[in-house]
Amino acid sequence: MLPVLKVDFNPVSEFTDFVHNPYVKLPLGLDINKAVIYMWMAAAVTTILTLIVFRKGLKLRPDGKQTSAEVIYDLCQSQVARAGLPEEGMRIWFPYVATLFVFIWMMNLIGFIPLPFGERHFDLFGLSIPEFQIYAATANLSVTLALTLVTFFATHIEGIRYNGPVKYFKSWMPSGLPSPKPWGLKSPAVLILLGLIALIEVLSQLVRIVSLSFRLFFNMLAGHLVIAVFLGLASLLGTYFVLVVGIPMGIALYTLEATLIAGLQAFIFATLSAIYIGGAIHPDH
Amino acid sequence: MALDGNIHDSARALELGLATGLGAIGPGIGVGFIFGKTIEAVGRQPELRGQLTGLMWLGFALTEAIIFYALGMAFVAYAIA
Repeated sequence: MLPVLKVDFNPVSEFTDFVHNPYVKLPLGLDINKAVIYMWMAAAVTTILTLIVFRKGLKLRPDGKQTSAEVIYDLCQSQVARAGLPEEGMRIWFPYVATLFVFIWMMNLIGFIPLPFGERHFDLFGLSIPEFQIYAATANLSVTLALTLVTFFATHIEGIRYNGPVKYFKSWMPSGLPSPKPWGLKSPAVLILLGLIALIEVLSQLVRIVSLSFRLFFNMLAGHLVIAVFLGLASLLGTYFVLVVGIPMGIALYTLEATLIAGLQAFIFATLSAIYIGGAIHPDH
Repeated sequence: MALDGNIHDSARALELGLATGLGAIGPGIGVGFIFGKTIEAVGRQPELRGQLTGLMWLGFALTEAIIFYALGMAFVAYAIA
């Protein structure tokens, strides 16, 4: 039997176990654990890459670095921000959605580099090194939920700031409904139906939190799990004939996830944030 | 490979597989529709290709997310069963 088959392989453990043994333990659950380190790495890489490009100022005849940065900027402006943000919200919220796009993209991409952050250790020439693994900060519901809550509160604060609370909360209701006048002679059925519609609209605002955060979280979690399962199929099933299928499938899925899904999910998150915020600033269209 | 374990474990494993697989049917059909309709639309009006591609990816991601609701609930049921 190959030695690899004796390893106790659990593809889920790398996404759950790190919570219980953080690197630095702090009160209020603000531990510094693997996910926090990954987020810091993403923030550092984003900042340093931007500084490298823009440190010497922009040139009229752009070189390779500046062209790449301009492509990303143009994508953020023409595809992400113009999809939802109106002109007056552009100045405040274009930096936010562009940062969201770049930051989430970088978190996803760092998630596909094998880094020594595993729970178990192995010996390399006498050194005890943590196992290499691929883990993304966005494969963690806390990270995506925090980003989603920023968008959620930004949406409603901007809606109230631009429209006033009465007009904004009225704009949640679809147009063309009969107006509710409690002292007028409305039939109670109309009032009940209006209440139901209001309830559904409030629920749909709250479901946005779930859908926006779960989409990113499960995309990255399921992507990493599928790669890990295919590459560890021999260890899971206890036979190494499946390596013939497992390794090519694992590599193919890795390529798909790293090239397409990582960028696409960042794009979707930023675009939907722009659409939500823009829809709150201008509720009529 | 010898099979051992109990009915409880096998039911959990079946639940995970069934919930994920059944949840993948709808989004699979939907994603196929989105790409097919986009190809059709680009065939009719090739000059709109840029705008249609952006919309296509938005619709793709929104549709594809539905499978993850099934997967998430399957994991929850697997964990608490």
